[in-house]
Amino acid sequence: MRIAPTLRPWIAFGLFAALCYALRDQAGWIVKYPTPWVIPLEAWLNVAMDWFVAHFQTIFRGISWAMEWPMTGIQATLHWLPWPVTIAIFTAIAHRAGGWKLAAFTLGSLLYMLITGYWFESMNTLALVGVSVPLSVAIGFGLGILSFRSNWAWRIVDPMLDLMQTVPAFAYLIPILLLFGFGPVVGLIASAIYAAPPMVRNTMLGLQRVPSDIRESGLMSGCTPRQSFWWVEVPTALPQILVGVNQTTMAALSMVIIAAIIGGFGDIGWEVLSTMRKAQFGQSLLAGIVIAIMAMIMDRVTRGLTDRERNLAESHTDSSFQRHRHLIVGGGAAVAFLVLAHVVAPLKSYPESWIVHNAVADWLNHGIDWFVANYSAVTDGLKNSANFFVLLPLRIGLLKAVYPKFWGFAMTPEIAAAYWIGMVALAAWCFWRGRQVLGIIIAIAAPTLFWGLEGMPWPVFIGLVGLVAYLAGGLLTTVFVVASFGFMLVNGLWAETMRSVYLCGAAVLLCFLIGGALGVWAAGNDRVSAAMRPINDTLQTMPQFVILIPVLMFFAVGEFSALLAVIIYAIVPPIRYVEHGLRNVRPDVVEAAKQIGCTDRQILFDVKLPLALPVIMLGLNQTIMYGLAMLVIAALVGTKGLGQAVYLALGKANAGMGLVAGLSIALVAMSADRILQAWSRRKRKALGL
Amino acid sequence: MSKLGCKTRNLVMGCALALATGGSAMAADLGATDEPIKLAINEWTGQHVTTHITGMILEKMGYSVEYVTAGNYPQHTAVADGTIHATMEVWLNNAGEIYPKMIESGKEVEIGPLGLDTGEGWMYPKHVAELCPGLPDWEALKDCAEAFATPETFPNGRILSYPADWGNRSEQMIKGLDIPFTAVPAGSEGALVAELKAAAAAKKPLVMMFWAPHWVLAEVDIDWVKLPAYDPACETDPSWGVNPNEVMDCGLAPPDTVKVAWSGFKDKWPAAYAFMEKFQMSSTEQQKMMLAIDQKGEKLEDVVGAWVDANEATWKPWMDAAVN
Repeated sequence: MRIAPTLRPWIAFGLFAALCYALRDQAGWIVKYPTPWVIPLEAWLNVAMDWFVAHFQTIFRGISWAMEWPMTGIQATLHWLPWPVTIAIFTAIAHRAGGWKLAAFTLGSLLYMLITGYWFESMNTLALVGVSVPLSVAIGFGLGILSFRSNWAWRIVDPMLDLMQTVPAFAYLIPILLLFGFGPVVGLIASAIYAAPPMVRNTMLGLQRVPSDIRESGLMSGCTPRQSFWWVEVPTALPQILVGVNQTTMAALSMVIIAAIIGGFGDIGWEVLSTMRKAQFGQSLLAGIVIAIMAMIMDRVTRGLTDRERNLAESHTDSSFQRHRHLIVGGGAAVAFLVLAHVVAPLKSYPESWIVHNAVADWLNHGIDWFVANYSAVTDGLKNSANFFVLLPLRIGLLKAVYPKFWGFAMTPEIAAAYWIGMVALAAWCFWRGRQVLGIIIAIAAPTLFWGLEGMPWPVFIGLVGLVAYLAGGLLTTVFVVASFGFMLVNGLWAETMRSVYLCGAAVLLCFLIGGALGVWAAGNDRVSAAMRPINDTLQTMPQFVILIPVLMFFAVGEFSALLAVIIYAIVPPIRYVEHGLRNVRPDVVEAAKQIGCTDRQILFDVKLPLALPVIMLGLNQTIMYGLAMLVIAALVGTKGLGQAVYLALGKANAGMGLVAGLSIALVAMSADRILQAWSRRKRKALGL
Repeated sequence: MSKLGCKTRNLVMGCALALATGGSAMAADLGATDEPIKLAINEWTGQHVTTHITGMILEKMGYSVEYVTAGNYPQHTAVADGTIHATMEVWLNNAGEIYPKMIESGKEVEIGPLGLDTGEGWMYPKHVAELCPGLPDWEALKDCAEAFATPETFPNGRILSYPADWGNRSEQMIKGLDIPFTAVPAGSEGALVAELKAAAAAKKPLVMMFWAPHWVLAEVDIDWVKLPAYDPACETDPSWGVNPNEVMDCGLAPPDTVKVAWSGFKDKWPAAYAFMEKFQMSSTEQQKMMLAIDQKGEKLEDVVGAWVDANEATWKPWMDAAVN
């Protein structure tokens, strides 16, 4: 029998894996990497860190001191302004950016902060964002120009950006705390690190896309290179740069919670964290909503201003009153309120007796308690079946997970033999029917499910990801991926990595099944799509800590809760990307499929989904990123793995350990990213897109 | 170091007395009253009460006080470099490894014990006694592991323990006492509280590591598992106690709570330092105030202010000893 060339590497891998599995008992190191082989990178990093802190601390403290001024300035101003004035100003800005609808939303949101009694904290958060966004934008813009101008700079900046976005902030909290000193500035730095990359990428993209004739016409009209850059290229690239500003703003806001973990600032993030510590769901939800609506307003406003910028470039017909009427009306109202506030006391500071907070929060808390008291049988059933039939087999394998008490039978040798025969038959059937991919998947799943991910020899896992990387992206990708997982191995984090891979893998799989189905539904139904959008926005902008409490109350500390927490956060990208991909399939192709008499089902599965696959794969990429980002938060509900390692390092004030664990999370993310991006590019090319 | 010296309760008292007599001899000068003393505010209400009482009395002495929110671990970096000047309620059972590091560096100093009457150990919501007859005696746990078993720990029972970054005492005790249980780290204080509340509401089985005083104990009825009494020998000598082969076959010593200051505090505000050395917090009083704030929704400032007004007899001597 001739073996198809595509199958040859898989057969080689299969033989290698079988050998590893066979040697499990004789050579223990093949499953459990021996501790003496672990390199002391952690200790070296600590030595380097101590030296660096001792020599350069003064400089960083200086930066920290310089940044505190604008922040306390904005903070003092916002606290001094009577609340109606602030509301008038922000509503006017919102109206300018997005018309009456956005203005009404902004007005309602600000009133919400007032009524729930979070005005003071919200203004502190705003001050924080007011410094961190310009800072991230400035850094990102600078790096973007640098990378655009110089090729070698880009080579350094590019991998840096990946790290900045994927190493969790908790991992470098200790080093920046030592360097910059205690206080909200640490939060600023963390948010600048995390939020700058989209600005860099969009600045570069914008500048690269400036058409050469525009550049030339600038030179022909006698511009110096400097003039040409600032007066011709940057304005032309502005719409794209503003997209970067939008994304950076959102990212910066998602990091304000880090500032709260350090403290030094009574901001809204502190409220979320304190109430999370008390497990008060109602209070933490009310505080979390403030951050969510702040993010939504900033998103809509920056996007609205971007669109305006685009439109303005095309038409200049507005009279100057029309163009400035927002400013005139808003400013007028602001001044009027400022004067009025000195006469009418409640306008100066909102009276405490008007605050509706505890009643609503208690009502929410009672709701949760009531649900727990009455439906714990349901939630327990759900949790136990997920554990027994999905999570445990995946982690420790069917061999250990099958207990007579829950499964109704024991894992006797006969049943094990039946399992293997069944799996081999299934795989063989797949190959015989020409479904190679499915056959390979079954061949890999069979031993994995039997011995579990924890029982998988590390050479098998590294070989598998290496092979997948090779088939998707070639040699370079393979080298990167193998080196990444090698890093975790030699640093003694293999068990933690497998735990994280397992948790994230299960979460991503479920996200894709559920989120994908929702995305398909939304793609075919405008009303569903419209209803889902605000839910998605909320899930993505609400601090993740808020959802932990109800999950814990319903499902208790454990892996299932962690899994749910990851899913709730990471389910948004599959919904969005699947919908986006399906909606953007070329209509003429769908029309043609209809003409030749395809059923709706056939159109979806045989036409639309395959064509949308590259976009959907990018969604998968995002899902993995979100899932890994949530790992550290999920550690708060008690999971083992890389997330917990990051927390342990924080408690020990061990900078090296934190960095190594954080870097491991980043490398898992980057490996997945490299593989999926390469695969998506090939697929796109093959489809002629 | 007094952290090591004050391990048992009797010694805590001894240390407190020693510090108290030592303190009165050397204080009188108020020091830099024009500069505010910054006190750390952590994430739990008991600490807010302790700190605000300190702050109010310091204000009565003529100081100005600022309250700065600070995370449990990061606050030690702040106290060490003088960004925050003191933190009034540090629990040594969850201070992490960063705290001993800072004390060792000499940048942070322990002012002395806070005097809270604390307890720590395994506990369960009252209804659990029906699921495991024989409780609160710890030996009952030997026979009812199955009642507490979960998919992740089966066939062992599950004991919810502290977050991994607070140490692994539950695990050691399970090993020491040789009971068929597995310790599951909770991840965060919020997770501990959420599970306790949920178990009480749904009448579900739960045994967990916890400490007192804690506000949630006013809300949920609990009992402590009766463990063999703590003895220092239990931590080091395997032959001590019920299990001749293992250490940690006993309950836990009550955790120490201490007051901690920046190393430059004493020179800058000598009288304030002397007062803080004397300052003691009673658990019953603190618990009453926590209840008023967390459960009855009263304002922190009002509750603490009322206590300060009503208890001048308690704190006046501390203040007088410091100033005169």
